[in-house]
Amino acid sequence: MVRPVEYARRSFLHRRLAEHGAVFAEIAGAAVADHYGGVDGETVGAAQLALADLSPLPRIGFKGKNAINWLISQGIRGLQADNAVDLQYDGVRAARLAPTEGLVLCDLEAKSGTCARLADAWSLESAPLCFLVPRADSHYWFAVTGARAAEMFAKICGVDLRPDRFAEGAIAQTSVARNNAIIIRRDLGRTLAYDVLGDSASADYMWRCLLDAMAEFGGKPAGLSALRRLAAE
Amino acid sequence: MKTMTCPLNGVRNISEFVCGGEVRAMPDPASGTDAEWADYVFMENNKAGVVREWWCHTPTSFWFIAERDTVTDEVLRTYPAGDVFTARRDFDAPNEGGA
Repeated sequence: MVRPVEYARRSFLHRRLAEHGAVFAEIAGAAVADHYGGVDGETVGAAQLALADLSPLPRIGFKGKNAINWLISQGIRGLQADNAVDLQYDGVRAARLAPTEGLVLCDLEAKSGTCARLADAWSLESAPLCFLVPRADSHYWFAVTGARAAEMFAKICGVDLRPDRFAEGAIAQTSVARNNAIIIRRDLGRTLAYDVLGDSASADYMWRCLLDAMAEFGGKPAGLSALRRLAAE
Repeated sequence: MKTMTCPLNGVRNISEFVCGGEVRAMPDPASGTDAEWADYVFMENNKAGVVREWWCHTPTSFWFIAERDTVTDEVLRTYPAGDVFTARRDFDAPNEGGA
């Protein structure tokens, strides 16, 4: 049995997840909420509306005038447009948040070593005007999945996130439940889904806000296993 | 809901923005007098008409410039600060307490 307290890399809100009945699994050296009940039922629920915590998974950011060029020099593809995501060959997604800021999110399997490779390759001396942002420590990472996700977001976010208005790979850096957040549309197979990233100090608040907002649609927590199943469909 | 167009992020609710005051020339760091600095830091022109102001989109900490009519409170246009400030400004103030 995986106990988050025994792992250096664990969720900011692992105690809250345990209250929901989370069963944790070790993924890439971190304790991740794998499921809460039966994975079959959770997968069906996640296709409608669910909230998952991906906070223990690798991610990394870079800021500075030379940040985007440095990422490209490290083999990251795309990064040509602001507020857009480019899928990499290994399932990693690279986002350009501004002309001076990039964000790299690992794949759901956490098999890619890209985030660790970038962290190892970067140094103040070798990457002038490019500064590392420890997004895995500074930001929570949630996924909101399911056909009713946009309807739920309409209650707490001013940006129109409906799938016909907000394309796959689009990014909105905006206010969600009066907290600053980065929303990235990232569908899982045929299921509508969004990443939500924000200040880790607000992780517990945002988790409760999102669950409260999705209650009227029957939304519940889902584990990483259900998300992987949706992605494989 | 009142909205504003961020040059980086597009149209957003006005609640996502904060105003940073007028855009105006900074006193010379090497030769500026106390009176010039006091005027620059504390005083506002409070002009009735079209003014240029600093605004920040807080979710991204993106600072940009807006032209706003203070009579009608209408934002006429917004653009990145890089359109106006094209070169880096170094602060080579005199060394006052140095070793």
